[in-house]
Amino acid sequence: MIENVLSRIGGIAGYGLFSICLFFAFFTGLLIWSLRLKKAYLKEMQELPLRDDAEVGPKPSPENHALAKSEK
Amino acid sequence: MSVETFKYDNRIVRAFAIATVLWGIVGMAAGILIATQLVLPATNLNLQFTTFGRLRPLHTNAVIFAFVGNGMFMGIYYSLQRLCKARMFSDALSWINFWGWNGIIVSAAITLPLGLTTSKEYAELEWPIDIAIALIWVVFCINLFGTIVKRRERHMYVAIWFYISTAVTVAVLHIVNSLEVPVSLFKSYSIYAGVQDALVQWWYGHNAVAFFLTTPYLGMMYYYLPKAADRPVFSYRLSIIHFWSLIFIYIWAGPHHLLYTALPDWAQSLGMVFSVMLVAPSWGGMLNGLLTLRGAWDKVRQDPMLKFMVVAVTAYGMATLEGPTLAIKSVNSLSHYTDWTIAHVHTGALGWNGFLTFSVLYWLFPRMYKTKLWSIKLANYHFWIGLLGMMFYVVPMYASGVTQGLMWKQFNEDGFMQYPNFLEIVIQLLPMHALRAVGGILYLSGLVLMAVNLYRTAKSGKFVPDEEVQVASRAPEAAPAHHGGFTHRWLEAKPLTFTVLSIVAILIGGLVEIVPLYLVKQNVPTISSVKPYSPLELLGRDIYIREGCVGCHSQMVRPFRSETERYGEYSKAGEFVYDHPFLWGSKRTGPDLHRLGGKYPDAWHYNHMDNPRDTSPGSIMPRYSWLLKQTLETTSLPARINALRKVGVPYPAGYENGQAQNDLQAQSLKIVANLKTGSIKAEPTREIIAVVAYLQRLGTDIKAEVKK
Repeated sequence: MIENVLSRIGGIAGYGLFSICLFFAFFTGLLIWSLRLKKAYLKEMQELPLRDDAEVGPKPSPENHALAKSEK
Repeated sequence: MSVETFKYDNRIVRAFAIATVLWGIVGMAAGILIATQLVLPATNLNLQFTTFGRLRPLHTNAVIFAFVGNGMFMGIYYSLQRLCKARMFSDALSWINFWGWNGIIVSAAITLPLGLTTSKEYAELEWPIDIAIALIWVVFCINLFGTIVKRRERHMYVAIWFYISTAVTVAVLHIVNSLEVPVSLFKSYSIYAGVQDALVQWWYGHNAVAFFLTTPYLGMMYYYLPKAADRPVFSYRLSIIHFWSLIFIYIWAGPHHLLYTALPDWAQSLGMVFSVMLVAPSWGGMLNGLLTLRGAWDKVRQDPMLKFMVVAVTAYGMATLEGPTLAIKSVNSLSHYTDWTIAHVHTGALGWNGFLTFSVLYWLFPRMYKTKLWSIKLANYHFWIGLLGMMFYVVPMYASGVTQGLMWKQFNEDGFMQYPNFLEIVIQLLPMHALRAVGGILYLSGLVLMAVNLYRTAKSGKFVPDEEVQVASRAPEAAPAHHGGFTHRWLEAKPLTFTVLSIVAILIGGLVEIVPLYLVKQNVPTISSVKPYSPLELLGRDIYIREGCVGCHSQMVRPFRSETERYGEYSKAGEFVYDHPFLWGSKRTGPDLHRLGGKYPDAWHYNHMDNPRDTSPGSIMPRYSWLLKQTLETTSLPARINALRKVGVPYPAGYENGQAQNDLQAQSLKIVANLKTGSIKAEPTREIIAVVAYLQRLGTDIKAEVKK
């Protein structure tokens, strides 16, 4: 059955090869791209969620771990 | 620099939080009930509405779309506002999202026990509800993108990328897999048949795991873990690689659900290779999460929120190593259709989704109520009970899965099957099934403790519905001093470009599989003896779908000697060309049924459906005695035939006007006569007659071919 399907689909061998080549190109590009990113930018982005309540406004309640300490 | 004052919307976050807890209790309770039924079938109370086949999709839908769905919205609505430094785009859309989504869940909770189902796993809901899901999802997308567009923060943090990929991919998956032709308000047929339906379904099913259960939760991990640990994510560079490679690869892996089936081999191999590659981005993400805690592990000891988070991320790592392992064909030949798959998905559901949801809930409540968590001790009890529950669930299921797989395949030294009676194997597994139910009870108990703890926390504080904050407004000239050339920075400032690129990344994999899929459609070898179902068989098949028989029985004999010896000739793609939808199944709690036709007399089926223990002592199949009493509904037959003709089943023109009813009656009377020879007096108008007709048809087309 499988041979039957394979023999009738045009260029079936190409699909696997195409997929792997595509992924290889994509991943290589991604790696090069990410390695070229500047440290200052990465640092800024990394700290973005930690800054979100550091602006003016009500202070967030203490962390749970701080609560744990205070309960001891 | 001007300063803007605005308020974060906490009300919507609280609403989703309460919904996730309540639906979690409902979904897991349904799970415990059906787990118990696998040991004690009588616990279905002999009611069709509470029987395994109908409740199993209720359990999966409740846990995935209600518990995790609401948990996901909770996590997104809180973190998105803070990461964008903006209130949600529209309060009205937020509430339409909340009530619409939960209305859909209520409609699922009503329709599934009534047997209104498409039978496609995790896409069981019928077409009107499918349309509602699409509409509510569009509302969510507008709200998400609207918030991103009006954000005050210049850049989009990694969590937001994961939210964007969730929004667009779920939309694509849901629409493509739900294409169906309506028969009536609550009945439809998939436009795809057999092999095509299977491939589209598991492209959907696998990526529902990827983009509903994984990407939004990864986004939440990237936000809440650094917040709780009070330190930035380990490597932002790794998170970029994690995101792009994960969404690119995940979409290709669907065919690993169909290994050794009638799906063409090239598609199976492609699915397997990409599944194995998926380990890399998944583990990159897991390590990024765990390494964020470097130097902060003392906090994990003290903070229950972090404990839950660490177990969640570890469970993600375990499940994403196990998944690719199960996708290797030789491993899959043992694991597929067994409880091993059930263990695997529960490592993900209980460990990753469950524990991460609990972690976020414990973090959010004290903050939204400006108070302390009511009891850290109780949260720690929850942690240990939940962890024990998970162990009691997955370990017996692994043991059960491997036992089952090995016993199915065992031959004795003379070359005969060691365990030719399927039931003998089922009975071996019952102690493990019982232990699994205990695990579920423990896990749910932990959830109840959390509900109490969160309730008391809320009581002890004062809810802040609108949290006022002041931030610097986004100035266009505030460009950074450190340019990185053509970097992610450029991309992150452009949500539309980012979204388009994400769609391209997920579509490539889909297209490379779907284009050949259409070629397959023209090339599935037709078998001349395969004919459309007779009217009576068609109605029987629809009852089979209604009762959820596919939850326990596969219809796919794989090309192994252990299967051809037990069931008969292996299944061919050409045999399923009129199957809208396909019913291959994914689990064999009971035996495969594809070659059932002609194996037993009609009377055996009649007695077996009335009480399986009469014909098969020790069976755990529920009774279907209502089929013997309920009248077969035949008025919708013309609409059913018409709908099937629209999707390509070659019923002759005008067949539904009279001839179909005549054929139905003739076949019913024939079965009634057969039953009489077995001393059974049956009415020809009962549902059981249609079910017997369908079961006796299964897999017989190919036998006719062989005879020729």
